Amino acid sequence: MDAFLQGFQIVLQPMNIFWVVIGGFLGTIVGMLPGLGPATAVAVLIPITFGMDPTSAIILMAAIYYGAMYGGSRSSILLNTPGDGSAIAATFDGYPMAQKGQAGEAMAISAVASFIGGVLAVFGFIFLAKPLANFALKFGPSEYFLLMLLTLSAIVSLSIGKMVKGFIAMALGLLISTIGIDPQTGVHRFTMDIPHLSEGIEFLIVIIGVYAVGEVFYNFLTIDKVKKEKKKVGRIWFTKEQWKRSKWPILRSAPLGFIVGVLPGAGGSIASMMSYSSEKQLSKKPEEFGEGAVEGLAAPESSNNAASVGAMIPLLTMGIPGSGTTAVMLGALIMLGVRPGPLLFENDPGMVWALINSMFIGNIALVIINILLVGLLVKILDTPAKVLYPLIIMLAFIGTYTLSYSTVDYFLLLLFGVIGLFMKIMDFPIAPLVLAIIVGGDMEQNFRMALTSSNGSLSIFFSSGISITLIVLTVLSLFYPIVINRFKKRSRNGDKEAISA
Amino acid sequence: MKAVKIGMPLLMIIIASVFLISSFAIPRANLGNPNGPLYFPIGLSIFMLVLSIIYLINELKTLHERNGKIQGLFEGRTLKLIAVTIALGVIYAFIFEPFGFLISTILFLGCLLFYVNGWKKWKANIIVTISFSFITWYGFSELLGVSLP
Repeated sequence: MDAFLQGFQIVLQPMNIFWVVIGGFLGTIVGMLPGLGPATAVAVLIPITFGMDPTSAIILMAAIYYGAMYGGSRSSILLNTPGDGSAIAATFDGYPMAQKGQAGEAMAISAVASFIGGVLAVFGFIFLAKPLANFALKFGPSEYFLLMLLTLSAIVSLSIGKMVKGFIAMALGLLISTIGIDPQTGVHRFTMDIPHLSEGIEFLIVIIGVYAVGEVFYNFLTIDKVKKEKKKVGRIWFTKEQWKRSKWPILRSAPLGFIVGVLPGAGGSIASMMSYSSEKQLSKKPEEFGEGAVEGLAAPESSNNAASVGAMIPLLTMGIPGSGTTAVMLGALIMLGVRPGPLLFENDPGMVWALINSMFIGNIALVIINILLVGLLVKILDTPAKVLYPLIIMLAFIGTYTLSYSTVDYFLLLLFGVIGLFMKIMDFPIAPLVLAIIVGGDMEQNFRMALTSSNGSLSIFFSSGISITLIVLTVLSLFYPIVINRFKKRSRNGDKEAISA
Repeated sequence: MKAVKIGMPLLMIIIASVFLISSFAIPRANLGNPNGPLYFPIGLSIFMLVLSIIYLINELKTLHERNGKIQGLFEGRTLKLIAVTIALGVIYAFIFEPFGFLISTILFLGCLLFYVNGWKKWKANIIVTISFSFITWYGFSELLGVSLP
């Protein structure tokens, strides 16, 4: 309780409130840009956190994260172009609502649903984080290695239909993470006698490269085709009837989203899709879904914001990011000298609880920003992409410079931008690459430490209940796409039978 | 289009092979297990190589299928936009330190905006270039204390 209050004191410092509001606002703007999601928002805005104290930095990054989640749904509703996967479900009913002249109502209900989802998930965070951190204290090197393996295999398996590409991206990321001096033995690996490479490839450059530069390059494909749509926003509040239809879906979707967010590899996209389809099944008027049903917008909005809070749990308690965005955040935290993991709760409870409490304040700030400033946000959305994308490129370059104060990294940035572009074009999932680069170093060190402690015997990976559970879950995660495909085929056959009957 | 479809798996095969061959050239460690630093890279590059070959086979099977994204790359001015951005980025890398942040950024952003946004909107381009370069310089250098050239 003391730590909770201490956290509140920290977050209520005017400077931290300022960062929450600024982060939420900037995150909303980047998240609103078509094609750019929370991972890009955090990646591009990371340089702002340098020079800040770590607590303010993590508060700012979290605010950017959920700001971008709010922002993503603005472009889904108004333009039918989601910022990222987690905002896709908002297009299903949000855009039809906007076409009916209910854009303002759609944005208001989405902001309120996001707010409720976010706040309920913060309560979940408070109850779950500490016990999970205590549990994580039981983890040794072999358990950590297996946990990272599970996270990576889950994130690959969940990119259904792209498993081979996902594993290639993962392997490439892990290989990139081995470049530089091996911390255990001091041996140079793949440095090609280039001094700049002896410290390894800075993962934030890879992140900014693939997420910011690569995304902008990818958006160049459609830059001349985007047609401007003028939308009538209408009244910016929802009706009593709309609220009546939405309140239970919002309340049901929040815990679902939160739990999915906590799971490795899942995250906002799956959370929002799951809650959309479950609400459709529960609805008395499922035929209205996709035609502008307000609950079809409210449910996924609540769910994906809850998932974004849930995703912070494995990040902070175990130091394992479960999604692309949290991987980016982990990278930035390591840069700032913060090592997330179970000991963070023991060593720096003030920071953890300040972050948790900042989520309350951030969500309040965001709902205000997203409702009161709708006019301004719509105007920003009207700013041509042709102006915004060059600005993002410029920010990416400056961000890269602030990492190492060397323009040599500009070449790496461009290289990873091109890699990111081709990965997008060829349908490679990007999250496994980024996640692998970030956890790769730790994964290898834990693997080797475990082997050293067992004198080279692999039996160490089967020596505890936790290890065996993690192995079973990893194997199950690999079979997940097969099960899903079977399930889909069966339901398709079922549909056919129903039609023929 | 076919070149891109096959090029990507071939590139992955080359990258995996380069990592595999270079792994054997890693010096042996004087501390602990001499082969310790080798296991991970060797295992991963073999894994990546096998998967890249599977990927190549998959691509060869669907070589004639249309891919709208690859087509988009060759349509309109997409390739030019990407090439010009890269070229300007390379020039930016060379002039950033000698010219200083403000001048080099104004030149880089200005050229990029004029190319991407078009000459017709020259007023907006100039205003955005100068104001954003200055705001970024002020934000980073003065507010955040980042030292810029």
